[in-house]
Amino acid sequence: MRGRSLILGAAALAALAAAGCGGGQGDDDLHLALETEPSTLDPAYAVDYSSGLMASLIHGTLVAFEPDGSLAGDVASRWTVSADGLEYHFTITGARFSDGTSVTAPAAARSLRRLLDPRTASPRWWVLEPVSGAAAFHAGDPDAPVGIEAPDDTTLVIRLDRPASHLPSLLAMPAAGIVPARLADSLGRDYGRSPVGSGPWRLVSWAAGDQLILERNPFAARPPLVERIRLRIIPEPMTRIAEFEVGNLDLLEVPVPELDLWRSAGPELLSGLELRVAYIGLNTEKPPLDDRRVRRALNMAVDIDAIIEHVLFGSARRADGVVPPPLRRGPPPLRQYPFDPEEAASLLAEAGYPDGFEIEIWQRENPEAGRVLEAVQGYLGAVGVHARIVTREWSAFKAAVDRGTPDAFYLDWFADYPDPENFLVPLFHSANRGGGGNRSRYVSSRVDSLLDAAAALSDPDQRWVLYEQAERIVTADAPWIFLWFPVRHQVVSSRLEGYVMPVIFNGQRFTAVRLR
Amino acid sequence: MIGFIARRLLAIIPILFGVVTVTFLVMQVLPGDPVLALVGERYDEATIERLRAELGLDKPLAVRYVEYLGRAVRLDLGRSFVTGRPVTDSIAERFPRTALLAGSAMLIAVAFGVFAGALASWGAHPWAGRLLMGGTLVGVSIPVFWLGLLLIHVFALWLGVLPPSGYGGGSLRYLFLPAVTLSFASMASIARVTRSGFLDAAGEDFIRTARAKGLADGAVLGKHVLRNALIPVVTIVGTDFGSYLSGSVLTESIFGWPGLGRLIVQSILRRDFPVIQGAVLFTAVLFVVVNLIVDISYGFIDPRIRHAGGRR
Repeated sequence: MRGRSLILGAAALAALAAAGCGGGQGDDDLHLALETEPSTLDPAYAVDYSSGLMASLIHGTLVAFEPDGSLAGDVASRWTVSADGLEYHFTITGARFSDGTSVTAPAAARSLRRLLDPRTASPRWWVLEPVSGAAAFHAGDPDAPVGIEAPDDTTLVIRLDRPASHLPSLLAMPAAGIVPARLADSLGRDYGRSPVGSGPWRLVSWAAGDQLILERNPFAARPPLVERIRLRIIPEPMTRIAEFEVGNLDLLEVPVPELDLWRSAGPELLSGLELRVAYIGLNTEKPPLDDRRVRRALNMAVDIDAIIEHVLFGSARRADGVVPPPLRRGPPPLRQYPFDPEEAASLLAEAGYPDGFEIEIWQRENPEAGRVLEAVQGYLGAVGVHARIVTREWSAFKAAVDRGTPDAFYLDWFADYPDPENFLVPLFHSANRGGGGNRSRYVSSRVDSLLDAAAALSDPDQRWVLYEQAERIVTADAPWIFLWFPVRHQVVSSRLEGYVMPVIFNGQRFTAVRLR
Repeated sequence: MIGFIARRLLAIIPILFGVVTVTFLVMQVLPGDPVLALVGERYDEATIERLRAELGLDKPLAVRYVEYLGRAVRLDLGRSFVTGRPVTDSIAERFPRTALLAGSAMLIAVAFGVFAGALASWGAHPWAGRLLMGGTLVGVSIPVFWLGLLLIHVFALWLGVLPPSGYGGGSLRYLFLPAVTLSFASMASIARVTRSGFLDAAGEDFIRTARAKGLADGAVLGKHVLRNALIPVVTIVGTDFGSYLSGSVLTESIFGWPGLGRLIVQSILRRDFPVIQGAVLFTAVLFVVVNLIVDISYGFIDPRIRHAGGRR
């Protein structure tokens, strides 16, 4: 009886195997994986990574990021800026939505106004905030004149009250995706499930929780070389790795602990600094962290290099400032906080805490965060600061941090666009305290005026001079324990050609890749 | 019997009422704001207020509760805060996949569990029993997560005969690994309980009577012993199946199975109240129905229960 069941079992396995190939896709589709399902494909409501990525694959923007972070025309074939930096002219020709209808300048204007419209209630309306009249219109004044006009079918004019040289970058964000405004308004929330865009891809099907299928949009400004993309939703990293190994995925994000296994993959391992900074925010309104000396002492108490080496497997670069290296236009910043526990302890004593004190450091559930904070806890303990690690799930964590409840919190900040402005202004301008991005509640009128002055300049090098000064002040005031800039690693399948790891996440729209 | 069923079905109403009320209250107490899931990393207070109004969250609790009840009786469970899709659509789309997985897992668990348990109780080969009991102890203790990854490793990476994950339209190749993973713990409990049931029943008076009457061993086993041993099995099936149907999140996450469990967990993390309410309500109904079926089947398996209601 046992023998018979063994044979039966083997036969069953063989039947399953014969039912089709066990691994490897022989088709011409690009196979990608998403960790979370997009919540919507409507640019006005796409706030998470998956939604933003999908929205940018489907919708064209006036200008778009290349993988290297530079801007190129997308829906707009070219653009000019007036000498005073207050007027932008975009030339729109030849762009078409995936249903064949033309994208005219008036259509683009309607789409941008929709983003600002209070009835849309888009959480990303701030992308167009520099536009003249935008704030008033969004606040609910329907007659406020908004500086978005289309004098003819091929020209779109955007007017500002003050120069904002990062405006083209804002217009390249997924939120500024050009939608057919009338269609989107008539469908309301349902537009997010059946979008129509002028981007390189159009949505063919969306099986909830399972996969999305995109097909090449032949009307796009730059139609892709690949016919179709299949994006499967695979929440578990180990499963994604297994799928890549059997050949079911063409691109894989390599988790840092797996690096050694993949380093020997040869030329196919791609690595690069992300436009992202990890930090421990210190609530500058809560004693004893309201004392600058205390915050500086905390920075000197932690050995960042050791944590990077042992906890992150070397996959990060120490942050001596705020702006990641790829965005700097000059030399790296001076290191203000060498690892010096004795100096830290004496600074703490000078501030009135010779015996240290107790604080709570909050984190979201995340294995890596846990390991990092345990190390930090050890270093802080050595100088008398007893840190208690508090773990909360995402929603509760976010609510508490934005309200200013925790003493300290472990977070990272991802760039929306490759510009130092996107690191300094949301994180340290006093106007953004709380939910705006400045979660340390840091206030410095000097930093505010430097940032405001930089916004008025259009030359990137001149702006950098001011940003660098602001960064130096922020670093000296230590509203954070400055940690690192993470390095990102990806592997591509052997059949994928032409893939370049993008500097900003929506800079890679898979238009220039091909499958062997 | 009919009266019994009717009474049980009527009892669903107060149960659902209680479920809705408790869920509503619990979600008020939870820290974390549904609106925060919608606004991203940079937002201003005005946007929060506007979104809160749009989602109806600025109305007083009692008003929202009554409105929800009013819609729920018309089977309108509202729309997701996050996606805007009707909750009934999301549940209707996801539940069949969870049901497929749950049903297959239960089938495997019962078939292999009872077989293994019966085998283990076979007096002729006691070592089989000890081996199986050791095996089931491991089976009950193995974390689902670890087992799933192990199976992926063996069958997808090493042997290369099955896909690592995915739904694949529900085809057998994609269903096999997640169903086996899910069934393991139940299979182990069922095996242990079946073995005890067989061993106990074998010593009962009525078995000796049947043997004395001249019944063959096979008939004894099939007709008398099995039916008695099945009662605890049915209990396990009832409890486990109920929890499978509400979605086995770990299995669904590991295998990327687009079922109800993942939807519920995601909604909880994002404080997507309408989806949480709707899914919990739906799950409550399922549990009641499954328990009812279990109770009815007791009546069929064990005549003592069936007649107990009638004679007295």
